[in-house]
Amino acid sequence: MSENYQPSKLETTLMRFGTAGALLAMLTRGGRWWMLPLVLVLLFVGVGLLFLQSIHYVAPFIYMVF
Amino acid sequence: MGVLRRMWLTVASEVSWRLPGRPQRLLAAFALAERGSMLDMLAAVEATDRRELRKKYFLHALDEGRHALVFAERVRALGQLGRAEAAIEDSGKLVEAGIVGGRTLFERLGEPEFLTFVYVAEADAVEQFRVYLDRGLPDTRTQDELRGILKEETFHVSYSRAEVDRYRKEGLPVDWWATRLRLRRLWEGWLRFSRDFGAVMSAFWLGVLYLLVMAPFRLLARLEPGGWQTPAGRPGGDPLVAARMEG
Amino acid sequence: MPTYILGISALYHDSAAVLLRDGEVVAAVQEERFSRLKHDPALPVRAARWCLARAGITIADVAWLVFYEKPLRKFDRILSTSVATFPKSWAAFPRHMRAWLGDKLWLRGNLCEAFGVRPDRVLFCEHHLSHAASAFFPSPHRDAAILCVDGVGEWATTSLWRGRDTAIEPVAEVRFPHSLGLYYSAITAHLGFAVNEGEFKVMGMAAYGQPRFRAEMDRLLKLDDGGFSLDLDYFAWHWHPSQAASPKLEQLLGPPRYPGTPFTPRATPEGAGEAEIAASQRYADLAATAQQQIEEAMLHLARHAKAKVGTEALCVAGGVALNSVANHRVAAEGPFANLWIQPAAGDAGGALGAALWAWHSVLGNPRGPALERADLGRDTPLDRTRELLDDLGARYEDVGDDAPERAGDDLAAGKVIGWMDGRCEWGPRALGHRSILADPRRPETRDAVNVRVKYREPFRPFAPSVVAEHADEYFDIPAASREPARFMLSTGPVRESARATLGATTHVDGTARVQVVDAGTSPRYHRVISRFGAETGVPVVLNTSFNLKGEPVVSSPVDAMASFVRSGLDLLYIDNFRVERPR
Repeated sequence: MSENYQPSKLETTLMRFGTAGALLAMLTRGGRWWMLPLVLVLLFVGVGLLFLQSIHYVAPFIYMVF
Repeated sequence: MGVLRRMWLTVASEVSWRLPGRPQRLLAAFALAERGSMLDMLAAVEATDRRELRKKYFLHALDEGRHALVFAERVRALGQLGRAEAAIEDSGKLVEAGIVGGRTLFERLGEPEFLTFVYVAEADAVEQFRVYLDRGLPDTRTQDELRGILKEETFHVSYSRAEVDRYRKEGLPVDWWATRLRLRRLWEGWLRFSRDFGAVMSAFWLGVLYLLVMAPFRLLARLEPGGWQTPAGRPGGDPLVAARMEG
Repeated sequence: MPTYILGISALYHDSAAVLLRDGEVVAAVQEERFSRLKHDPALPVRAARWCLARAGITIADVAWLVFYEKPLRKFDRILSTSVATFPKSWAAFPRHMRAWLGDKLWLRGNLCEAFGVRPDRVLFCEHHLSHAASAFFPSPHRDAAILCVDGVGEWATTSLWRGRDTAIEPVAEVRFPHSLGLYYSAITAHLGFAVNEGEFKVMGMAAYGQPRFRAEMDRLLKLDDGGFSLDLDYFAWHWHPSQAASPKLEQLLGPPRYPGTPFTPRATPEGAGEAEIAASQRYADLAATAQQQIEEAMLHLARHAKAKVGTEALCVAGGVALNSVANHRVAAEGPFANLWIQPAAGDAGGALGAALWAWHSVLGNPRGPALERADLGRDTPLDRTRELLDDLGARYEDVGDDAPERAGDDLAAGKVIGWMDGRCEWGPRALGHRSILADPRRPETRDAVNVRVKYREPFRPFAPSVVAEHADEYFDIPAASREPARFMLSTGPVRESARATLGATTHVDGTARVQVVDAGTSPRYHRVISRFGAETGVPVVLNTSFNLKGEPVVSSPVDAMASFVRSGLDLLYIDNFRVERPR
């Protein structure tokens, strides 16, 4: 084990997929299927938000386009 | 830089000090900034290897702490505070405004560049306060306080300049650092604007999404009732597996 | 190689890190003690780094990092509540979703990045289970009821558990939005204080009032069937982005108190006009009513716990467990023979609970000895302190191991001193390691401490510390309160005969939040008080946390020096060094 483990971009992305999967799994386990569509939409938005944050220094220009 | 900056400061101060409610917010921002630099200077006392500088850092920190109190006092005296008042006390605001948070300035920059930063920031503050004094802003009581503060800031400028000069003689690129620090300040201003702008826009789009998507789900959701409830079942099996879940 | 576990609580308020070595606490400290930002909620990177350094290890040696909450369940609660309160939640939803989708939801990745651990080493404990573990595992009890009461974690706001040796089983829970902690915070905000900070002030204010608003406020909070429920129409925390109260609360309780308004009730009018006195008295009466409700609710919950679980001991945790007046009533009037509360009963303590839960419940290791001391935080080697004092040109004397006696003498001579000794305390209370000490006998000392040092509201009482041998001569401490009193977590009556003597530490209603100091666990502090007692005949000192207004408790010698110089303290002790004021 290296002393200063730092996840790579790929690992971070995979971890986030894992988190999203865990969230969906939690809802299905609790039997609340009806929340799945809502959470899927929100996760999609979340991906967009994260992307915009990663390039936040040009965010104003991106939003101009929309 | 000097002439342009002074012109900008003159115009900006004329506008900003005269808007109603604005002086309070500016003074609150000063109070916050001074408190932030007190923390920076105290962190430097803790971290420095140059023991001969510790007392200077310490006295500098005490000055900044006192300035923070003076500015806070002025905010209160001017009245009609609302959010300005709360901002002075709320240390979370220091993080929000990007004044402190994460690693300390000293850790990020290292001693020579830290001192360059101190010199640049203090020299700019002196210039800024001089403009306010020249224009008679914002009121005579605050002017008196500013005069006192200016005297102490001059000490900060002089000791940090002496150190910066020493580093320059040693061949360290202090002038490049100074320029880079000024550029970085502009860049950080842009980032803040960009972040705030992004926050407003994403809040807007999330609001739109809320109105479009949430309504039908409303029929299926209800708030929990009061009183004791049976706890939800926990997943059985390997406790280590369960401990990794839902995170 | 021993097993190291790092417990983390963060991202709401009072973040903290705790390091266990084979289940034993090596270090426990809040991030605010490093960042110097009061209640700092940031991931406790500096605190964790310090804990690792104290143990002489690196993050690579840590077997498990345990976070004190299940973030996905919390997200579920926030989202479900937004849906259920549509369309009122229109302003809260964008704000919450931006914070969660853009950051908080991805906590596992954020933890790995911030602390440098691998994702498979990260565990998550439930918020209330963290609280329960933090109350049960450090206690001396092997079979106990555990009651957790706070604002909110994931879903639970109040929970009842049974702890048996290394297992903690859920019994029942009350869920968001019904919350005693949030209720008390809403009243705190109504009374003009900051939430998560001003709750202690409400408690202090309550002593000046009468609970004459029960008719109105019993509409808000109802006790029923062993539990409680709230009339949610009066509250807004489940749909408003920042406010706890709905406009209806204001209609019921009258206009809120503007922050910073002078408090001049009938007992201490200080020359205010009749209108101001009446207004202040009204707020005091509101505070008294809310406080009485919380006390009765805690008793009610404790009785239910006894009926359901039936053990001799009760462990309590969560922010409401810091309400020392309620704790006293649970101890004095409740059905349990023993009460145990961990010094960091609030969210910071979740870091300890999460780590202990992993060690005992997940990894199945046996219990160890009980936690008897709170000095688990940061300390500084003597030579580093000496170097600092030299560099700052401080006027100091190395008094060696005589420091406690010298301090006792100084107190007897009427000095107000800063007392920084050894490791800083775990939890919000200063317990004789980062304390301001003074003579408890004269009310003038209280005013002197307030005006020269703490600059805080005069209606807030100061606490006394008494040596265990003489505690019962001065204070009426029920048997069940013995353990909480060690950590200054219970406020009870001062004996009638002692009230005149302890003028500076007895509150207006004749009570005091006493700390009972044991020679075995706090030897040096015990010596300070004993010496003061030998000189004056009163083995009690006034003890308040060593910090200036709006700042966290000092932790390093640099903090102590900066606070000392900026305040009106007469003297400062840092371990073996006696520092005088600069000329």
